[in-house]
Amino acid sequence: MEKENRLTLGWWIIGIGGVIFLLVPLFVRNPYLLHIFILIFYFAYLGTAWGLISMAGQLSLGHAALIGIGGYTSTLMFMEWGVTPWAGMFVGAAICGIVGVIIGYPAFRLKGPYFALTSIAFAEILRIYVENTEEGPFGIPLKAAMGLLIPLKGQAPEVFQFQEKEPYYYIAFAMMCIAILINYTITRRKFGFYLMAIRSDQDAGESLGINSTRYKLMAMALSCVLTAIGGTFYAQYFRYINPERAMGLGMSIEIALVGVVGGWQTVLGPTIGSILLSPSGELVRAYFGGTYAGLHLFLYGLLLMVVILFLPNGLNDPIRRALKRLEARIRRPAVLTAQPNAPTKDSG
Amino acid sequence: MSLLQVEKINKNFGGLVAVRDFSLSVEKGEIVGLIGPNGAGKTTVFNMIAHFYPPDSGRIFYEGKDLTGMKPYEICQLGIARTFQVTKPFVNNTVLENVMVGAFSRTNDPREAQSKSLAVLRKVDFFAQRNLLAGELTTVDHKRLELARALATEPKLLLLDEVMAGLTPSEKVQLLGLLRSIRDEGITLIVVEHDMKAVMTLCERIVLMHRGEKLVEGTPQQVSSNPQAIAAYLGEEYGTT
Repeated sequence: MEKENRLTLGWWIIGIGGVIFLLVPLFVRNPYLLHIFILIFYFAYLGTAWGLISMAGQLSLGHAALIGIGGYTSTLMFMEWGVTPWAGMFVGAAICGIVGVIIGYPAFRLKGPYFALTSIAFAEILRIYVENTEEGPFGIPLKAAMGLLIPLKGQAPEVFQFQEKEPYYYIAFAMMCIAILINYTITRRKFGFYLMAIRSDQDAGESLGINSTRYKLMAMALSCVLTAIGGTFYAQYFRYINPERAMGLGMSIEIALVGVVGGWQTVLGPTIGSILLSPSGELVRAYFGGTYAGLHLFLYGLLLMVVILFLPNGLNDPIRRALKRLEARIRRPAVLTAQPNAPTKDSG
Repeated sequence: MSLLQVEKINKNFGGLVAVRDFSLSVEKGEIVGLIGPNGAGKTTVFNMIAHFYPPDSGRIFYEGKDLTGMKPYEICQLGIARTFQVTKPFVNNTVLENVMVGAFSRTNDPREAQSKSLAVLRKVDFFAQRNLLAGELTTVDHKRLELARALATEPKLLLLDEVMAGLTPSEKVQLLGLLRSIRDEGITLIVVEHDMKAVMTLCERIVLMHRGEKLVEGTPQQVSSNPQAIAAYLGEEYGTT
């Protein structure tokens, strides 16, 4: 492949950043700090999974529903049948993949904001249903608004439960890396080119042989599958899952925000967004949560407005440009000294 | 069997008749010109052949196959490519990436798509601009990008909607040569064009449309000497009565 827009400096930063993240738990023992790191990885993961569908130019504001379905599925299977969440996670993922296709199929045939609206409606209907349903169909104990408490087993890796934060740290980190890798791989292949074409100009894409509905559905299914796995992580990490948080609009918006702020439709945008948003959101919640409940949501809203006004493509673009300039500056002296007749102070 | 057989297609937009009972038969290896005043229905005919919208009535056959009910992407996969009069570049991507989207219609391998795209870019003399963002190009270059993307889908029939517009005379001569060489590779061309000199030299057969209907059809000599054609569109300059 021809290398264009190559950013060596960017690769170094990614590599060094990755190594630092890997080593953090060796030096940081404070569980609260580790918790913040876990949130960064977790929302980077969710944002990247969400980004898959935004790559097709579709804005989902209902991804919380998939966290709910994923989390509830693995938790209920564990509680009712004793199935380990490591396996239940994939059942939830499969269900969400199917749900994604069912929602996407009618919504993707429409142009405009209909998919965003459909996604909100779906998540809200699901949340309201679960909040008000003690016992679902086939006697599934949904427990209504109370939510599900994961039965504690102590240190039990076989059922996705750990006493310490470190295992969650590495699991969240691995999930983020896998999501980024999937996203990166896609952008280099036919699938990614087709998603780009669809979001850029769907009519032009169709005239070049792209079945846009099919590729949007594939992106949607993959996005939903990954988000559902995030739902299982949510339940296992917090050991509690309830409809208000896991399926609520707030969660959907936080996921979307991470992507939009960082630069949606880019591979690393959601990660950048999460590095910025997750700690600030958590700190604001921790310090002002008691007196000014909901302040972090207010700040998120403000941030969203600022970003959309001044950086409609998110932070990814300006960071890329800055890195490019820096790289050019680093390289220029080397080019100058290579010129044989460059004037020097000593000449003459 | 004709490569393309259009049988009495009709299209109305609201109460407006855009195309009425239009028929056309195109043989393999031909270059057919579709001319006529603005609003005559030329682009509408293209859109119906490419199935951007279906004809209200009538049928279109390609290699003997009825295209009724097909989607634009299926038409492309069958080997009919088109360019848009109002260009539709993928503005945030490079020229090469734009063309690769077209090439991916015949391969799943990014390497192969890239090498094919580079070959197409060389052919249309666009290789030097391959790493420029499509959004930074001029309108004239967008037309060339449309042509390159369409060629990358390896069509057997190519519908070109005003690719000459805005070109300088020398660029036009160059493009005419390119279109002939494309034809010599076995690709059939239907061109919509307003530059009569170009159409007359390029096409073996010309169809003149007027108010949604086919007015005159024939060789450039026949059309340019037809009094109806002169009255409706050509005027005295290209008329040879």
